[in-house]
Amino acid sequence: MAIFAEKVTKTYQSGEVTVKALREASLTVPDKKIVTILGPSGSGKSTLLNVIGGIDRYDEGQIVVDGRTLDGLKDKQLTEYRRKNIGFIFQQYNLIPTLTVEENVEVGRELSSNPLPMEDTLKKVGMLDKKAKFPFQLSGGEQQRVAIARALIKNPNILLCDEPTGALDEDTGKNILKLLKYVNETYGTTVLIITHNQGIGEMAHQVIRMSSGEIVETFENETLVDPEQVTWS
Amino acid sequence: MILKKSMIRTLKEKKFQYAGVSLLLLLAVTLYVSLSMAVTTLEERNARFTEDYKQETFHFVPSEPVDSSKLQEWEEEFDVTLEARSYYDADVDDSVLRVFSQTEEINLPYLSEGSNPTDGSEIAVSSVFAEKNDLHIGDEVEISGERMEVTGFVYLPDYIYMIEQLTDLISDAEKFGIAIASESVMDQWSSRSQTEITGWTSDGEVPDGFMEAVRAETTILQFVEAGDNPRIQFVDTEIEGAKSMNNTLPLFILALAAAMVLLLMRRRIEMQRKEIGTLLALGYRRNELLRHYLGYAWVIGLSGTVLGLAAGAGLSVPLSNLYANYFNLPALSMFDFNPMVLVIGLIIPLVLMLSLTAWGIHRALKVEPLTLLRPKEVTVGRKSWLERLPLLNKGSFIQRFRLRLLVRNKARSLYIFLGVMFSTVLLLFGFITFNSMDQLVETTYEDIMTYDYAVYYQSLQTEEPADGSDPFTVGEVNVKGQDAKLTGYGIETGTPYIHLLSDEEKLNSELKEGAVLSTPAAAVLGVGAGEDITLTNSLNDEEMTVQVAGVADVYIGSQIYLPREVFNEFLGYPGDAYSAVWQAEKPERGADVYQIEDKQKVIDSFEATSGATRSSVIGMAVFAVVISVIVLTLLTNLIVEENSPSISLFKVMGYHNSEVSKLVLSVYTPVVMLSYLISIPLAGLTLGQLMNSLVEQTGFILPTDVSLWMAATGFVVIMLTYALSIALSKRKLKQVSLQEALKKQQD
Repeated sequence: MAIFAEKVTKTYQSGEVTVKALREASLTVPDKKIVTILGPSGSGKSTLLNVIGGIDRYDEGQIVVDGRTLDGLKDKQLTEYRRKNIGFIFQQYNLIPTLTVEENVEVGRELSSNPLPMEDTLKKVGMLDKKAKFPFQLSGGEQQRVAIARALIKNPNILLCDEPTGALDEDTGKNILKLLKYVNETYGTTVLIITHNQGIGEMAHQVIRMSSGEIVETFENETLVDPEQVTWS
Repeated sequence: MILKKSMIRTLKEKKFQYAGVSLLLLLAVTLYVSLSMAVTTLEERNARFTEDYKQETFHFVPSEPVDSSKLQEWEEEFDVTLEARSYYDADVDDSVLRVFSQTEEINLPYLSEGSNPTDGSEIAVSSVFAEKNDLHIGDEVEISGERMEVTGFVYLPDYIYMIEQLTDLISDAEKFGIAIASESVMDQWSSRSQTEITGWTSDGEVPDGFMEAVRAETTILQFVEAGDNPRIQFVDTEIEGAKSMNNTLPLFILALAAAMVLLLMRRRIEMQRKEIGTLLALGYRRNELLRHYLGYAWVIGLSGTVLGLAAGAGLSVPLSNLYANYFNLPALSMFDFNPMVLVIGLIIPLVLMLSLTAWGIHRALKVEPLTLLRPKEVTVGRKSWLERLPLLNKGSFIQRFRLRLLVRNKARSLYIFLGVMFSTVLLLFGFITFNSMDQLVETTYEDIMTYDYAVYYQSLQTEEPADGSDPFTVGEVNVKGQDAKLTGYGIETGTPYIHLLSDEEKLNSELKEGAVLSTPAAAVLGVGAGEDITLTNSLNDEEMTVQVAGVADVYIGSQIYLPREVFNEFLGYPGDAYSAVWQAEKPERGADVYQIEDKQKVIDSFEATSGATRSSVIGMAVFAVVISVIVLTLLTNLIVEENSPSISLFKVMGYHNSEVSKLVLSVYTPVVMLSYLISIPLAGLTLGQLMNSLVEQTGFILPTDVSLWMAATGFVVIMLTYALSIALSKRKLKQVSLQEALKKQQD
């Protein structure tokens, strides 16, 4: 599912200070591709991800997902948009501590009219044998796998990943990237990854660089590096 | 929804908190349902007994016998049913058994067991008297020197509240009972028996002109309408009083439970901000999450109410029987199901829980998912106006930390304040009631009424009373413009047998200036010293305006005391006439004696019932403590949970558990103390208001002063309760791990 953003602007008011988080950001995310948005803290990459995901609103410009604009959508319509199209993966996993692995994934499955099979999904993320464990019994990498399974089982068109490896060590982080690549290739899911880890850009079809709320560079990789081989920073 | 599992696990994990709220709810519903059901049963039994067994509309005692032809004449003239009934007060060991002739028209006896007495040596007694005196059917009992066989157990509709004198306050079935005997038995006792005429009308009203017609024929020694007869009326008063209490007490507990649910839910939502944000980001609809969180209220509400309904319904059966025994009502029905009570008991708590929870959750769900996903805006460091007060910025770190915690959780402070207040008022109600009974006996029967016996005559006396006797006139008077009847006493101002005391000041000499009222009479009329009231004679149309010279500490009955010659003149009696005497020596029952009041028996009745009062006071105190422990423990537990990162940090820094406990847990001690201090006058005031509002029906007022011992004992109980709840929460505090602070930092 392709995403088009045109001159998107977003301003925050923090006390007496006005922060321009996005300044006329424009981009095109091609369907069924992996796109990484790179940039330092405060560059506006999370804000861009959030407005595309419909959990935040933009002030000006336009975002069109699969031919439908997000302009002026009401809360309920945004909820339906997220429910049907978006899978979210957070840096801190955000699993429900009182539910097991399988039940956490079930939380995502309930939202979909066309979910993937449970066993299959857990197998794909390598968590089938730990499906009865609770989040506190898992490592960070394992928790992120569960979070991916939770997003994936909905069979979403777009997977939005907010620093998915930010809290993980190199080996575990690379395993997660392999998983995201696998999801993209197997299910044709558009994957949008925001990260400050420059190396992750090497595995993406397209790389977008941001700075101070602006998109400063967009390029496509001619050759894709295997996630195992990305330069970890 | 899979989230249901999360809810169930959270409920299990926090079982103490949620079970505590459920328990509060259970107590509220159990109390409401059991009391309401018992009152419904009591009301139904009373209504059926009154109607089916033709309870009298009035009765009167003539000074001379009235023959049956005259009664028939009045029946035809006034469309009234009249029936003469004789009775004899027989001594049975230390008790008095009032034996009635069997009636056929009015006040029909209900035989619960056995058979009616038919011959000259048989008797049927009231079942509660039999129980208290260990009498069984077939047993023989000696009555006035004759052996009589108990053939059955009987109830009379005009002795539902079984008191010997109309002025008696307490029913004591061990000392006084009723019985019926055959005509032949009553004939044997005819020389010593009394006769009263009972009347019944279909509309329950005394026919116009009836009293005048009777008065034209004979002197009326006593005329009592059913509405003024405590033996009949007291059960209605109790039903009305119980109905208002049934709602008030459970409502308070329900409010505490509801407030606790709100606090818990707010806390849960606060803790699960990120979870809610994640779920919203994933695409969960707000109403789906609302339903999920309402699940907590459903579980708490349903478990509390359903168990409460079951417990309440079960408890209502023994409670109904207790009431029935107390009121001498036959068990015409066992369990009167009132669907409204069940509906209210179920619906109101549930609706309250759900709506409050929905309100609390709705506020959180209105927030954008992104805001929920971010850490909550840090408010630490911002000072409220309370914290800026110079007083709160002085003292050691510990003191300032505690004060800051206190003022930053105003809702919790308020909750603790109200919870302690509720328990204190309940506790002090018990103490005051307990103490009042003693004070009432002491003041009314020992300090004020110093006579031992009151002898009431069948007709007016004019000759000089015997030495040691002091004459007085008694009669009923109405107060113009008020729907109130007073018992008028015309007394000698210098009588040694009545000391009209008001705060230890004797008011007898004030009688020259006007009338002295009993405390209930002043409350009913709403008048005080210096105000005028106009009395009307209920037997003629005479009027007399008198000034209230004072209000005496007579707590039982609506009495007005006047000089005898003034009262006689008002009643139209000769100046030196009297209808009764007070004396210290035990009187002989002469032919002209209508009734003898033995003051010691009245006091004994009070003392006999003090055991029951003590039990109810203990029950009330236990109840107050249970509520208090639940409320305080739930709150302190919540405080530990909320402050676990700080607790953990203090531990990491090297604070001991006891020091951390002082910092965090016992922070509400000043609130508890303040609430207690404010509750002391509040309890006296509330009970005083309650007494005043019920005085018209009950006819008595209990002194509601809170003495020092009550305040001290209450303080000890409340502080022990507080200490117990702190001790319970200390266990939770000890369990807070040292990693908690680190985890919070990571979040």
